[in-house]
Amino acid sequence: MEKIYWQSLEKHTEQQISVLNNNKPLPEFSIEGLDESEIKGKSSRRDFLKMLGFSVSAVALVSSCQMPVRKAIPMLNQPEELIPGIANFYASTFFDGTDYCSILVKTRESRPIKIEGNDLSPLTKGGTSARVQASVLNLYDDARLKKPTRQREETNWSTIDEEVIKQLNALNATGKKVVLLTSTIISPSTKGLIGEFTTTFPNVEWIMYDPVSMFAMRKANEMQFGKAVIPDYHFDKAQIIVGFNADYLGNWLMPVAFTKQYSANRKLAGGKKTMSRSYQFESNLSLTGSNADLRYGIKPSDEGLILLNLYNEIARNTGATIYPTADSPIDIMPVAADLLKNKGASLVVSGTNDLNIQLIVNAINNLLANYGTTIDLNRPMYLKQGNDEKMARLVKDMNAGDISGILIHNVNPVYDYFNAKDFISGLYKTSFKVSFADTMDETAALCDLVCPNHNYLESWGDALPVEGYLSIMQPTIQPIFTTRQFEDSLLIWLGQNIDFSTFMEKFWATKMNDNHIEGGNFTQFWNQTKHDGVYQYPVENETQPSFVDQKLTSGSNKKGAGLELVLYEKMSIGTGKYTNNPWLLEMPDPITTSTWDNYLCISPNFAKENNLKLEDVVSINGFFEIPVLVQPGQPDGTAALAVGFGRTSAGKAGTNVGQNAYPLMNSQNNLAGMTGTVIQIEKISGKTYPLALTQTHHDMEGRPIARETTLPEYLKNPFAGNEQHVFDEEHNVSLYSKIQYDGLHWGMSIDLNSCTGCSNCVIACQSENNVPVIGKEQVKNRRIMHWMRIDRYYARSEENPEVYHIPVMCQHCDNAPCENVCPVAATNHSTEGLNQMAYNRCIGTRYCMNNCPYKVRRFNWFEFTNNNKFDFNMNSELGRMVLNPDVIVRQRGVVEKCSLCVQRIQEKKLVAKMEDRELRDGEIRTACQQSCPADAIQFGNLLNKESAVYKQVKEDRMYHLLEQLHTLPSTSYLTRVRNTEA
Amino acid sequence: MIINGITEGYTLKFRVILTLGIFILLFFASPPVHSQTADDEKNFQQCKACHTIGGGKLVGPDLKGVNDKREESWLIKFIQNSQALVQSGDKTAIEVFEANFKIPMPSHNLTDDQVRGILAYIRNDGKIAGAEVTVTETPTTSPSAEALATAEEGVKLLAEKKSDERRNMRSTFLIMIVLLLISITDLVFIKMVKAKWIHYVIILVSVAVVIELTFVEAVALGRQQYYQPDQPIAFSHKIHSGQNKIDCQYCHYTAAESMHAGIPPVTLCMNCHAQVKSGKKTGTVEIAKIYAAIETNKPVEWVKVHNLPDHVYFNHAQHVNVGKIDCQKCHGEVQKMDQIIQVEDLSMGWCIQCHRTQTVQFANNKFYDQYIKLHKKLEDGEITSVTVKDIGGDECQKCHY
Repeated sequence: MEKIYWQSLEKHTEQQISVLNNNKPLPEFSIEGLDESEIKGKSSRRDFLKMLGFSVSAVALVSSCQMPVRKAIPMLNQPEELIPGIANFYASTFFDGTDYCSILVKTRESRPIKIEGNDLSPLTKGGTSARVQASVLNLYDDARLKKPTRQREETNWSTIDEEVIKQLNALNATGKKVVLLTSTIISPSTKGLIGEFTTTFPNVEWIMYDPVSMFAMRKANEMQFGKAVIPDYHFDKAQIIVGFNADYLGNWLMPVAFTKQYSANRKLAGGKKTMSRSYQFESNLSLTGSNADLRYGIKPSDEGLILLNLYNEIARNTGATIYPTADSPIDIMPVAADLLKNKGASLVVSGTNDLNIQLIVNAINNLLANYGTTIDLNRPMYLKQGNDEKMARLVKDMNAGDISGILIHNVNPVYDYFNAKDFISGLYKTSFKVSFADTMDETAALCDLVCPNHNYLESWGDALPVEGYLSIMQPTIQPIFTTRQFEDSLLIWLGQNIDFSTFMEKFWATKMNDNHIEGGNFTQFWNQTKHDGVYQYPVENETQPSFVDQKLTSGSNKKGAGLELVLYEKMSIGTGKYTNNPWLLEMPDPITTSTWDNYLCISPNFAKENNLKLEDVVSINGFFEIPVLVQPGQPDGTAALAVGFGRTSAGKAGTNVGQNAYPLMNSQNNLAGMTGTVIQIEKISGKTYPLALTQTHHDMEGRPIARETTLPEYLKNPFAGNEQHVFDEEHNVSLYSKIQYDGLHWGMSIDLNSCTGCSNCVIACQSENNVPVIGKEQVKNRRIMHWMRIDRYYARSEENPEVYHIPVMCQHCDNAPCENVCPVAATNHSTEGLNQMAYNRCIGTRYCMNNCPYKVRRFNWFEFTNNNKFDFNMNSELGRMVLNPDVIVRQRGVVEKCSLCVQRIQEKKLVAKMEDRELRDGEIRTACQQSCPADAIQFGNLLNKESAVYKQVKEDRMYHLLEQLHTLPSTSYLTRVRNTEA
Repeated sequence: MIINGITEGYTLKFRVILTLGIFILLFFASPPVHSQTADDEKNFQQCKACHTIGGGKLVGPDLKGVNDKREESWLIKFIQNSQALVQSGDKTAIEVFEANFKIPMPSHNLTDDQVRGILAYIRNDGKIAGAEVTVTETPTTSPSAEALATAEEGVKLLAEKKSDERRNMRSTFLIMIVLLLISITDLVFIKMVKAKWIHYVIILVSVAVVIELTFVEAVALGRQQYYQPDQPIAFSHKIHSGQNKIDCQYCHYTAAESMHAGIPPVTLCMNCHAQVKSGKKTGTVEIAKIYAAIETNKPVEWVKVHNLPDHVYFNHAQHVNVGKIDCQKCHGEVQKMDQIIQVEDLSMGWCIQCHRTQTVQFANNKFYDQYIKLHKKLEDGEITSVTVKDIGGDECQKCHY
């Protein structure tokens, strides 16, 4: 069937018009209607002469200046392991209260510059997420507090300690209640320490709080299995995965680990014939939905109904209790049939924080005998321990004046609690308020004392995300400011004269008695664990707890007049903790390709009915105004809005960006629900708000870029969907002979069947290659600098499109169109197959950009370093500390692009030479490849027949982008295979 | 290339003077000695930084009578690599190591015979074995006059070259401008010289020279050839590297593994200067600065001499360790410099020139095994050697990324 791919709705409409009129598509840019000065340019002859005179005198002035004296300052006492110019890697752990990842921290001259995945981790297996990649920039955030503060005045630690100890003792003596409010804590030793703290101060109660909560899940498991836990999931063991508003590839629980598992079961390389099938029922187009084989748009209010119908269908076949319910709006028979066929090898998950829904999900999984195979209740997951009920009670108690003191660590409820108004009024009634925030966030600003915590890269710690998987966090830099780790503060206030690293070691020494450890030597075990970053210990394999039937209902199926709102976390900034991170703010959303803002996603039909289009401003419940974005795949009757924006005190990049959506949470039964709030929207006529989308540029104009097939067709014919490649191979002939390489020919291959579009690689590349942040204005001017972009295509219907993600970077063509047109030979071909770019040679004609069919070259329109107009990380001493010293910072007026991480190639080549050996396959890993959670990218020497990339290139699914142009790229792609029936 | 001609002329003159000087000095100052034993004396230079023969303990013990105290085979091993011996658990070695405040003696790249020669030299109380020389000018207190003279001349040559070149350039430039003005004035106003072709020739030549000089100067903008700044400590490479023969990589120990050769931390200086508290030329003044740095916890702020532009990636390990290039090839004869001076212009042309001609360790390093076609060409005799350029050494992204 002839499929028309489209990237934006405007384009789709255009295509339809052009099909009707048999016309060419409208041009993207036209000079019609512009002023004369805009067409001809604004410079006159006088301007030219002025400029000439100025430049001549400037050059004369510069040339008469003395060269600056440069100092070389060696260390006073150089530690043995530190060699200037050589990177050290330390295993550590990323945990911010929500996301967990085992990482390696790359440090140069004792400062962390890059985060890599830790291959030794059995959970994250070397993958990271965009947020993890960008977290290194938070260390160099100007908004960080430099010193502890008292009533917003900087002070010193001894004053703070004196006051806190005095207050704590006084409150303890009088028995007045103090609350320690923290994020989810997965560190066993911190838990131990807090335990000691609450023993010493029995008036202290510890409450954990998550802005995006999964409390209903714990509660459901407690009711049905007697264990208030979140179980461990195994997406790799599931043949059928059914998700209900659970974005498990994006934001749900442990997306990195889940993506690793999910993609492992979706690979078809090496003649594998089976792959899992994923169904997704969701109320907004999530990353998981965009990757699902079959996706259904549903209203939040229908979720319980559909689930209960699914349950009933399965129960009918297994002979379990059937509960009466209304008919499902969607035919669930095929899903039920698939699930029943794969009993014990299927998985149903829901991300909705609603008890009824979680009870049904558990019941379905129980009927399908998934407990013990794809779900493990004996290995509880310690993420998301936030207790919504306790939090609600705390707010009530605070307002009643029952709470005298509050210590707030790693949470920001003034910003992200759905009932922030009551929380604030309660906070005012609390006399003693201490915050451990590392920036002056909304909550810290209301506290008396702020005791800034270290950044996680300066801290000691441990983490137990899932039972049996210990993970260690270690400092990789001396504290930059006069900050102190939260745990160290507690230890000092407890009067214990040790630091937290000692405490932690002692804690594990008592816990890990010698028979737990192989060899029985704790010191050895501890050093090894710190070195590896992870340690796995066996968990006794008991039978899964028995299931207790609970009455199931589809919940209150309330349907108000208006749109049902779905709140979601963006792949970039998540819950709003990183709203001040410019890398993340500028990361295009993998679905909407929008940067720097949040917006209300509405369905195409709703937009048509209400005459709304992109950038129109609407008001939600009269509460705040927000631009709309017409989102294909958004179910009718719903609207979606990202949380994490609208911070009022985040820092120079993130303050007052977008609108805060947390107050719109569905707070039924005091559960912080992301879905189901009914909103009224009203168009503000005549008002628009610009959105910086990367959607319309980088358009591939409907050529066969996204290639795909279905599993049955692929099994019949491995070239299915890739017929164009066969045709081009036969018909593309050239007068010129192909380049013959000797020794090395670098190539990259991307498996589109694995790639989820999560954009981890985009940020990894930005971090590795010093890619500047350019701000919303310039993104809107189509000048985004990312060397790697994820193209997103839609196909079929607007209501429920099929979605494709294609990472595109420089293709390193052997027959490169850019190389021929450079007047100064600044871009040329290397004997190793790299399309080289010499920045210091480039004079900025941009002919190469014009001639590049892939549009992967980027021009530095401005100086992005030390320029107050681009006040992001590269405009501050501190922010520039993140720059990779092996890659130069490009100046204004030159073109740049992906270099296939040539600095990494050269580094590993040198290591091989120094060790007098040949290069090993897989030794050189590009930044995008190293931390890919889906292992979609392979890189290596195409001349080495044993290399992974060579094997991937020899697959029948292999094709090149725009191969009909005969550019002979070194980068190739594998067609996507959907596991659908036809 | 007038300017080059002038420079070369000067270079030639100095070369003649230098050669003459060396000859004269050799003739008068060096005693006629047996070549074998002269080597021994030279080899002992590197010991003298820390040891004396009968002059008491310096950093290391007095070596008088060491031949009687220890066995020769043990001494050879210890001198070649003392730390290896200590780590192997040799009792005597550990004893010696501990008796000397655990200051490790650097390993020496000496053959067994060379060590035997040194031992013979020590046995003979610091005199050249076999030669009956009366102690008139004791070579133990000052280096041989020959070495001193060569070194001084070498550095003088550089300093002269630097100032001469500048002076020549400026005077040529001025002369040419004056000539140009005179001839134009004469041509237009005075009209003293009737033959107009003389004016035209002068104008053409002077304009060509002025343009040439401007071009040369403009190209060299930002380059610092013959840059010789004063350093915070008057550290002399001539004494350390030239006379005491300390290996370059003893102090610049990261050169073989990192992109930076590295400037040693002062704690490394302390390996020797914990004991050597007074220098030959500057007394205690300069060495005291090391102690001051340690006491005040302030590192020494050296002035960087060899600067490459920011957009160049240069890696010492690639050149020193893999390419086996001598340090002197780029840094000049450092062992003869009291104060470091940048000898080469470090221009891209200079880099590329070397990459075009320098052969790589093609047969000696397994990394290069993958270049099958080049190996075949070598076998077939199509080429005789593989230069850096042959494996892509003149491509942009070898140095610019």
